[in-house]
Amino acid sequence: MSYKNLIWYKSLLSAEKSCLKDDKIKKVHYKFEDGREMVEEYNVDTQVLLRRAWKVRGKLGGEGKWHVEVGDPIPDATPSNDVADIIESKDQPVLSRRNTRINLEWRIRNLPYPIETYSIKVDNENKCIVISTTNKKYYKKLEVPELERINLSLEQTNVQASHNFNTLIITYKKPQKLLDMEKEWYEELKKVKPIKDIPSDCKTQ
Amino acid sequence: MASIAAAQVQEVRSITRIERIGAHSHIRGLGLDDSLEPRAVSQGMVGQKMARKAAGVVLQMIREGKIAGRAVLLAGQPGTGKTAIAMGLAQALGPDTPFTSMAGSEIYSLEMSKTEALTQAIRKSIGIRIKEESEIIEGEVVEVVIERAAGTGGARVGRLTLKTTDMETNYDMGTKMIDSLLKEKVQAGDVITIDKATGKINKLGRSFARARDYDATGQQARFVQCPEGELQKRKEVVHTVTLHEVDVINSRTHGFLALFSGDTGEIKSEIREQINSKVAEWREEGKAEMIPGVLFVDEAHMLDIECFSFLNRALESETAPIVIMATNRGITRIRGTNYKSPHGIPLDLLDRMIIVPTSPYSHQELKEILNIRCEEEDCQMSADALTVLTRVATETSLRYAIQLITTASLVAKRRKASEVSMEDVKKVYSLFLDEHRSEQFLKEYQDEFMFDDGAGDAPQLMEVTQ
Repeated sequence: MSYKNLIWYKSLLSAEKSCLKDDKIKKVHYKFEDGREMVEEYNVDTQVLLRRAWKVRGKLGGEGKWHVEVGDPIPDATPSNDVADIIESKDQPVLSRRNTRINLEWRIRNLPYPIETYSIKVDNENKCIVISTTNKKYYKKLEVPELERINLSLEQTNVQASHNFNTLIITYKKPQKLLDMEKEWYEELKKVKPIKDIPSDCKTQ
Repeated sequence: MASIAAAQVQEVRSITRIERIGAHSHIRGLGLDDSLEPRAVSQGMVGQKMARKAAGVVLQMIREGKIAGRAVLLAGQPGTGKTAIAMGLAQALGPDTPFTSMAGSEIYSLEMSKTEALTQAIRKSIGIRIKEESEIIEGEVVEVVIERAAGTGGARVGRLTLKTTDMETNYDMGTKMIDSLLKEKVQAGDVITIDKATGKINKLGRSFARARDYDATGQQARFVQCPEGELQKRKEVVHTVTLHEVDVINSRTHGFLALFSGDTGEIKSEIREQINSKVAEWREEGKAEMIPGVLFVDEAHMLDIECFSFLNRALESETAPIVIMATNRGITRIRGTNYKSPHGIPLDLLDRMIIVPTSPYSHQELKEILNIRCEEEDCQMSADALTVLTRVATETSLRYAIQLITTASLVAKRRKASEVSMEDVKKVYSLFLDEHRSEQFLKEYQDEFMFDDGAGDAPQLMEVTQ
């Protein structure tokens, strides 16, 4: 069980954890020793990680924002006016992460070009997967924090891609070491008792 | 070709819309040479050589940034250029040094206490230069499209297309971003960076791919390589923020409560203490640099005794900025007391100040100032009209004479003349009364006005209510 000596696994163990159960979703909040905060959401039935988000605080302080590593982005409840008013147009490619039980998965919507256009290469020097296009319209470096944390290098043979309905889907087969660790960690999480009285969601219906 | 010309006309228009002509917009600096000696007429400044020389010394002191908590008092009659000197100082310091300008009466607000308003003003005048990681968009401009939404007064919408050697993306822009793009004169072929958090645009140069259309670029155009890889990068950028901005970031209520509480209002002293210690920590680690700035309080006699004693204390802190005050009062009552003091400022505070006097302008200097204002207000004036205007300025006041410039030029325009003549000045002189003639008029027809008590001692009445 080599992963048990990893810094990542140890920091997970030593983090201050609290847990909420909401219907079929188990939410776990981690507060690490170095002050960082992370939230994970698991589907209770499939044990699949639905979302993982990190709290990012600016150097100057303030509340900070949630940066979503895996799963759908969290909609901003109070859109603030002080953000600079330049954003990508609605029709531009959008990247999101959604992992399955056996794969790490990236979905890039709004990419209309056929599958031959893309070249997907593993770049182990920079620890990322590089997507480039022959028509020079799209270029992206995908980070793989899951593998970086368990000190595994990327392998080209594990990468697969498909293109359908203007969406490019890139999958990376989870290595055995990662699968083992995730399974073990889910068992470990069962020890964290969910908080009984869930704060009311203010449902207005 | 026609479309390029049209685009340029559009550009000029929107810039003039941003910069309106203010009372001191002709001032571009203190008008000093490299050895801080005042030039007779320079950067919009005329005369007042001693005061400007003194301001130059203060400028040097601020630039060195070593001495905290000094106060300077600009004292002089109305219309002798006190505010102009302060504005010139702000310009000479440049955009990186925080310069807060306020009027003494601004501190009287129902929303916050006087000392809170002063503390905020003081903290707005201290900057911190700090390195922070920020989202940067870096690429070559392919296309800028700005159009007005349908209907009159519709908001402008803009689209910006940027590319690197590997990719291309369209961005939607709001009005603020459109304005700054126009201000920077960004066009297709430029390589720019945009700080996503602050919206700051930086022009790196022109792309090498555009090197052939040489006649369309200036001589000093710098050519750079089109960037590679992704458009959006995370980079370390140096920001200058004021202490007050850091306070606000850390005191804002979040979540849905933010909807109910305004962002302004009072800031808890615990937060300030926390931030002070954090800043001290950053400075020790070399992560941040403190830039002491300037707090300018115009009409300083409007501050009251509480503010003065608060300032006495606040100036002793090592994070205090240089405070510059201006007043046009002589020996008068200190607000909030029955004591009289020079400039309406208590003696103990006066003792901590260096006082710079300004004196009335000479005839020749008035003429020079009026000439500069004519240029600033885009108005052609004949030589004899200027002489008459100078006479008006000597006999009434400089401010009144400046008021007559644009009004006279409007009169001249109505008779389709390109130059303002003596007659135009005379006409507006008869149309608009100056303060002295208005008083004369009132004295003559006092009995016919409403609520007249017949005392006729208006100045004395003012003294009582003050």
